Amino acid sequence: MGASRPLLQRPASLALFACVLAVAAMTATEAWRWSRAAPPGGMMPAAVDTAVPPTVMLTELSNTLIPMPQGVPSAHASALASLPHGNLISFWWAGSRESGPDVQVYASRWADGKWSDNWVVASRESLGKVLGHGVRRIGNPAAWTAADGTIHLYVVATGMGGWAASRVVQMESRDEGASFQVRRVLPMSPVFNTSVLVRAAPVGLADGGWWLPIYFEIGYKYPMLMSFNAQGVPQRLTRIGARKRSLQPTLVPVSATEVRAWMRDNGADKRVQQAVSRDGGLSWEDLGPSTMSNQGTSLAVLRLSSGSLLMLRNHGTTRETQRSSLSLWLSNDAQNWQPLADIVNGQPGDEFSYPAMFQVGDELHITYTYQRRAIAHHRMKIQLGKDPL
Amino acid sequence: MSLPDLALQIIYGRLAWALVAAAVLLSLLPRFMPARFPVVGRRLIATVVGVMVALMALPGAASPAYSLILVFQYPSGLMLGCCVVSLLARWRGREVRFALRPGLALALAVAGLVLYLDAFGVLSLGLYYGGFGPVAAPLLACLGAAACAVAIVRGQAAGSATALLIGVMLFSLLRLPSGNLWDALIDPLLWAWALGSAIAAAVRWRALRNAIALPPSPQPQPAPERDPELLPVHAAGIDKQL
Repeated sequence: MGASRPLLQRPASLALFACVLAVAAMTATEAWRWSRAAPPGGMMPAAVDTAVPPTVMLTELSNTLIPMPQGVPSAHASALASLPHGNLISFWWAGSRESGPDVQVYASRWADGKWSDNWVVASRESLGKVLGHGVRRIGNPAAWTAADGTIHLYVVATGMGGWAASRVVQMESRDEGASFQVRRVLPMSPVFNTSVLVRAAPVGLADGGWWLPIYFEIGYKYPMLMSFNAQGVPQRLTRIGARKRSLQPTLVPVSATEVRAWMRDNGADKRVQQAVSRDGGLSWEDLGPSTMSNQGTSLAVLRLSSGSLLMLRNHGTTRETQRSSLSLWLSNDAQNWQPLADIVNGQPGDEFSYPAMFQVGDELHITYTYQRRAIAHHRMKIQLGKDPL
Repeated sequence: MSLPDLALQIIYGRLAWALVAAAVLLSLLPRFMPARFPVVGRRLIATVVGVMVALMALPGAASPAYSLILVFQYPSGLMLGCCVVSLLARWRGREVRFALRPGLALALAVAGLVLYLDAFGVLSLGLYYGGFGPVAAPLLACLGAAACAVAIVRGQAAGSATALLIGVMLFSLLRLPSGNLWDALIDPLLWAWALGSAIAAAVRWRALRNAIALPPSPQPQPAPERDPELLPVHAAGIDKQL
């Protein structure tokens, strides 16, 4: 569809004027943007105490199921974020089945020691109406509460196709999760912006921003992160390592410049995969598989305020037991992990998966998918001993 | 990153898909319905563009853009530029050929191949991320615009240069379609179009070379039909005759 004959037959001076005007307008616009842009820097992990942390002991305070919507049989993929006064908000998707047209993202508030009734925060109809284009499926949520109290929610919303056609919608709430406004579909891929998903919790940065762990899923699977400033504006997109069979990264800063990533394995190793950044997340290198088994299941890693690292993962080693148990592991150096506590042990074929963790004061909150029917919640008291591991 | 507002993206999506659909339709009508549409006149062009804009402006799922953006997201600025150039050329009664100019097609095909291999994880270059760069990407866009302006003023590859200028202008002025420079310059549909155009040009070039290499025939032969793509005056798919 091209013209094979002159497009511009007007006087040359007119074409010259138009071209000069176009280039001048572009240059002026870019110069204006540069003058308003924040100076480079920042986007580094929040400061962490690198002293040897004390021993950690956990005591379970309660466990329960978060109230499910009436008549909705399937639930999966919970996420946690903080609310004022030490409260929490949980997000998950639920519907008739995974990928079903009625799947919606729900939320529930943890306050005064109990979960509120749930409410809908995103559906394919609500997203389609605001985005101006269709949404086929709703999937994993991930959430982060900014310093100003704004809750940023990231929801997987697919185009035409399965999860391989996933995109990530950025939403935000300024009323503690009561209502959410769609901000944009995040641009993450040049291929119709598809096949990018979220799963693990974001990680806070020193300047008030955060990193959102994401991953590419069609064909080869590889982890990435997108960094945001304190206002929730995307700043940078980075691939984590070069491995092609890792997904669902969970990120933890271990020093001012070193960041570790642990990933679900999609390859033959069947081990938790690892990567490290030594320049504050700018570049990454693969560390190879850890010693911990991973039968293709999602995991969560959290750095406690005391400095210890907690990993919550399925430790089953066969196809039948791959998601039937969840256990907590502890590390002080991000390399050597020791078993700390079993959270749930089921029968072969049971599913307790997609864990999430959040620390509030001296309490550890854990949520995970309970038999694909509900979201379970455990609350544990964190007690610090004097002797390091 | 500097990203466009959602409202701006919605407007762009509907308008851009309307113009792309109109350009495609106007290239197909005379080809597949020559009896009904022997020539593409201004009235037909205005009607098709008007109908497409009206259709895409329909609310919600009634708009074809609702489904097109669901599947393809937004056409690149260069794709839109090519379609606008072709519509303008038809409006002025110029001949419009479907294939892209071979040089542009080859460049897009190669660049797209590397970009998509990187996006699919086969390579690990991080090319797409560079399209969000706060300095290099805008600088490249401005330099590209200046080069396009020189080409247009000189009358060299003016069609391609105009299309490219539209693409980088959309990026620099409004950050459309996505805030990423590469999304302004290529999308998978444009890449497929470029790949097809490059292959077609290569086939024609090889056929012509073989024809030239044939030994002189003892019998006078009718003159071979000249391939317009290889003639100097038609060397550019969407460009001016020299």
